[in-house]
Amino acid sequence: MATADDFKHMYLSVRFELLKHFRRRRILITGVLAVLLPLIFYIVPPLLDQDYTDAANDFAASNLGFITLLIIISGAIFAGDSISGEFEKKTGLLLFPTPQRKTSIFTGKYIASVIATWLIVALFYLVTVIEIASIYGVSEISVEVIQSFLIALLYSTSVISVVFFFSSIMKRTITSTLIGFFFLMMILPIITSVLMVAEVDPWFVVTHSADLITDGLGSGGGFVHGGGQGPIEFTIFEPDLYTGIGVMAAYAIILFLIGLVFANRRRME
Amino acid sequence: MENAIEVEKIVKRFGDFTAINGVSFKIKKGEIVGYLGPNGAGKTTTIKLLTNLLTPTSGHAYINGTDVNKNPTEALVPVGALIEVPGIYDYLTPHEMLTYFGKIYKMDKREINQRIKEVLGVVKLSDWENKKIVSFSTGMQRRLTIANTILHDPEILILDEPAIGLDPKGIKDVRDLLKQFKSEGMTVLLSSHLLHEVSDTCDRVIFLDRGNVITHGPIDEIMGRMVVETIEVKFLNSLSKEDVKKIKDIEGIHNLEMDGNIIKINFDGTSETSSKILIELIGRGFKVISYAPQKRELEDFYVSIMNDERGVI
Repeated sequence: MATADDFKHMYLSVRFELLKHFRRRRILITGVLAVLLPLIFYIVPPLLDQDYTDAANDFAASNLGFITLLIIISGAIFAGDSISGEFEKKTGLLLFPTPQRKTSIFTGKYIASVIATWLIVALFYLVTVIEIASIYGVSEISVEVIQSFLIALLYSTSVISVVFFFSSIMKRTITSTLIGFFFLMMILPIITSVLMVAEVDPWFVVTHSADLITDGLGSGGGFVHGGGQGPIEFTIFEPDLYTGIGVMAAYAIILFLIGLVFANRRRME
Repeated sequence: MENAIEVEKIVKRFGDFTAINGVSFKIKKGEIVGYLGPNGAGKTTTIKLLTNLLTPTSGHAYINGTDVNKNPTEALVPVGALIEVPGIYDYLTPHEMLTYFGKIYKMDKREINQRIKEVLGVVKLSDWENKKIVSFSTGMQRRLTIANTILHDPEILILDEPAIGLDPKGIKDVRDLLKQFKSEGMTVLLSSHLLHEVSDTCDRVIFLDRGNVITHGPIDEIMGRMVVETIEVKFLNSLSKEDVKKIKDIEGIHNLEMDGNIIKINFDGTSETSSKILIELIGRGFKVISYAPQKRELEDFYVSIMNDERGVI
């Protein structure tokens, strides 16, 4: 049963973990990416003497094609060392022999990673929304963009849970960070493609569910899986909104809890 | 008197390797106890079991009667622990880091600020309170971890090689600090290789080797058990070869070494033989200025018992 002290310790952990992300310039680096990536679609067309897409939602979909990449980068950076770092750098020798539950410490670190990633996602959407307002007018900012934002926040949480899980079982921070990144960036998308070739709906793969971020906006998504023009033909499965939300929530909750169990069982040997 | 620390038949195995093999000991409130042993003896493992960094395979560790592994959040409240060489949050300043730990111990802001000034003063880091730790030398980081350990004014200190990484001045400061803790009635479990540090400050020592307690007891008692087998004799004049031969012939002398007008005599270590040798020297006309059994240090005892344990002759 959690006590008031547990919540105070959790809050402390959140605060100091966020300070770490800030002082290590992680927030600055990902923040710069969150501003620069959406600016590409705003700056490049006029430079190439091209028009913007007719619909604001199509423009948003093009912009947000990069958001999954940014979410995975942020997740790996913010959560990669959350657990493994305390063991590898031996800071746990200072932190753990104190009268606080490890659950409070690790949950605080998880929440800090979620907050930091949400901030970056929010910044990306803010820039996108400002661009839409400047090109198409404020009235063109649609409900779909807000829905996309909420799905992106949920996807961010599941990404943090995946990396948090790897951080709880890996010895080195570099390993947990890279495995978390490549698992989300390469392994799961490859599994999705293989399943599609086998005509199996990859509804349970979280990166497949992430397509929902742009699916509601229109046709401009940057990372749409497709059949291509090669000899292999396969069915493209689009994620269902509610199933996708359920999958993302399940990844977020289950992997966080498993990570927490592993982190709590881990000992400073 | 209630025990501040109690370890009861504790066993810790890592796979097939038994690091701690049924160790038991008790430390009363206000005692300062040295925990000694060679590398790999199990000292740090015991300390990690006492601070809930490891879970015992069997047995129990108690702080003020509370089982550390069953109820760590209660048991660790009165404890300040410095274990191995911990990493440090180098993106913080000492003020920020100590504030974080002060809040973990539920200290209020005013108390934290006051204690930060005090403990940084103790470890001579007052001028560095608001500088980033990343710029600190290894010794400064070590001193900061010591400050962190005593920040909440703990009743019980568990220190694992606190002098590691410190220069001679820093080591002396740690020794003085331990003496201060002793005078304040703090309970301390001190694991150390520096036997001078231990013999200067500890009331009692526990010798550990290969996961077992070999011996334990008050330092005076342990030193009393040691047989002094060497006497240093100083003569008024330098000795000739003939004089040395005459001395060697005295019954009870096993061997001797000469250095000018000083000789070191090895004998069986008994008071009777020591007395007979002195009488013989005087009787044979040697002008003795001083006659002193060589003082044995804790270090000699440590080496001798470790050698006994390992069958070294």
